[in-house]
Amino acid sequence: MNHYRPEFAAALRLLAQVSEAMVARGLRRPILVGGAAAEFYTTSALTTGDFDLCTFRQPELEEEMQKLGFVRPSGAGQMLKGWIHPGLALGFEVVAETPMDGAFDPETLVLVENTGAGAVVVISVEDLIADRMGQFASGSAPDRLDQARTLFRLQPALDRAYLAQRIREETAGDYGIEHLK
Amino acid sequence: MASNTSNSSPDGWTGRRLDMAEFGRRIAARKAELGLPDPPRNAGTNRTPSKRALLKAIEDAGGKW
Repeated sequence: MNHYRPEFAAALRLLAQVSEAMVARGLRRPILVGGAAAEFYTTSALTTGDFDLCTFRQPELEEEMQKLGFVRPSGAGQMLKGWIHPGLALGFEVVAETPMDGAFDPETLVLVENTGAGAVVVISVEDLIADRMGQFASGSAPDRLDQARTLFRLQPALDRAYLAQRIREETAGDYGIEHLK
Repeated sequence: MASNTSNSSPDGWTGRRLDMAEFGRRIAARKAELGLPDPPRNAGTNRTPSKRALLKAIEDAGGKW
């Protein structure tokens, strides 16, 4: 864990606690996506502001988060769907029921063990790269290409066939794995 | 990197697995080997109103992400 920022490591341990509580209820762990997944796969070379989660059981997840001290920020407007943990000054937000509108292979999800507090589930790095490429291709987030390239270069082993397929899908065929090199 | 193979286990997980500490060591070594500069943070232009509100609440609570 010492390869990560202390704040990130603490947040991941909290997520592990929440995840294990879900399992104890007979439910699936939430899936970590977005910037926090990118921070995980780059050991904090990429950093994030909060943890984005996917779950079909948002009410139960938020119940478990409250048990661990998460609160709705005081004075928050109706726009706020996230939760913060005051002791650690970090935030979690359920952003969807499933990653990438379901356009991913569930068998590629990663169970990360030995976090210090249990296991967490993270979207695959291939899907994360494809997500970044899709945002880049949309023209709204030019910085995502550098992120995708960093993720690609850091991983010693990737399922290249799956990665190529997912990039094509997320960019409507405009980009491929060759744009990461 | 996680194993690309699927295998069932007593806990029912059939997807990939990885050990956090081992993974962290491997990626840290890879970063050093490649000498990669840190890429830019997200510009934040795609944030939803909810996301902007949450990040402000974190900042108000003393968080420095």
